[in-house]
Amino acid sequence: MKGGLLHNMAPNAKRSFMATLAFSAVAVAIYMFGVLPSQDALDKEGRRKSALDADQSRIRMDLSNAPNVKKNMDALEASMAPFKAAMLKPLLGSCAMRAKSILDPLVAGAGLKDAEYSEEQTRALPVTTPLARQLYARAAVKISATGSYQAAVSFLLRLEKEFPLVSLQWLEFMAGQSPEKQSVTMVLEWPTKGKVTRQ
Amino acid sequence: MTGAALHLNLLKDSEHRSSSPVRLRVMMPLLAMLATIGALVWWGTNLTQLVIVKTQADSLDADIKSKSREHAEAIRQQGEVRETQLGLDQLEFYRTGVRHIAEPLAKLAEVMPIKVQLTGLSVSRLPPQNLARPKGVKGPPLWGPPTNVETQKFVVAGRTTKAPPLSALMESLDGPGFEGLAGTAGDPATGRKGTVVSFRQDSAPAKDGSRLLTFEVEYIMPERRFAK
Repeated sequence: MKGGLLHNMAPNAKRSFMATLAFSAVAVAIYMFGVLPSQDALDKEGRRKSALDADQSRIRMDLSNAPNVKKNMDALEASMAPFKAAMLKPLLGSCAMRAKSILDPLVAGAGLKDAEYSEEQTRALPVTTPLARQLYARAAVKISATGSYQAAVSFLLRLEKEFPLVSLQWLEFMAGQSPEKQSVTMVLEWPTKGKVTRQ
Repeated sequence: MTGAALHLNLLKDSEHRSSSPVRLRVMMPLLAMLATIGALVWWGTNLTQLVIVKTQADSLDADIKSKSREHAEAIRQQGEVRETQLGLDQLEFYRTGVRHIAEPLAKLAEVMPIKVQLTGLSVSRLPPQNLARPKGVKGPPLWGPPTNVETQKFVVAGRTTKAPPLSALMESLDGPGFEGLAGTAGDPATGRKGTVVSFRQDSAPAKDGSRLLTFEVEYIMPERRFAK
């Protein structure tokens, strides 16, 4: 019988049933439209707070570490100073021109004559570990001159003393018509910055 | 009629067995009301917590924003340190690979036998660098060569009158002071560091008409090892 149950209920029971129904509906509505969204918002805000907490800890650590970083930087700069001084910086875009400006006094002092400078191919710096990128390379400059064996050796001795980071890459002495007129060709190598060595 | 016969039993059998004989019509609305109150309390607690967490998060956010410039500077310094360290490491590799041979060359003039005339002296050219990846490995070329060792030869060429002066020269080069030129033992048969590549009659006679011998001796120089 349709609607019979409610219809046959005693008035007290009917009121009780309706009140139960109403309270239950309100409870469900509060849960669905109040509790659940607030729970979501709370979770979201909790995650945001956790992320910010982590950020703040990292920032505090970075800032507290800043004096050490500065100290490290100063120490590194000090270690880098001799290398920076030894770098071959191109003059008007040419390493050979820079090498000429540096070496001409030494060449003349040693007694070598007719010195000519030309740029050789820059070589990559071999390292044992793979690099993300190579910051430095080996700039090479070829020097051809004439003079005695003693003059060439004297030039090399002075070069190695005054520029300890300049390396000999290639050397050739060829006997000339007289001991004073021998042909000397050498390729000298400097550390350099900013050269792309990828081929 | 007895009292028992007149008793009107209004309770059902199930209600007789219940521990709490309160009627369902009283219990059900009460439970529903409690559930509603519970949901309200839950919602209220959540809202309170939300306000607290949001306030804390906003405060953290403000703190982080206030330190952002200082932090950016600290991060920049850290990056600079990493970059400088990387550069320094690479330059240390370079430093260990520097080749200096002026002193042995100067000493060579002192030990040169009187009957030996040098016609050529050379340190061989470095071979081209191989920046290709190993076979079967795809990708762009390498930034650096796959090996950190470079080997070169030191070649002495000249003229002499006979074998002993050349032998004396080679003996000198095997001795102390020439480690920068003659690195390792080159000829296992003789135990000498140098290998005689050629030793023959010169095609052109000397000014005094005597026949000279030309020679070429090769030495393996110490490796240029780029390592820390």
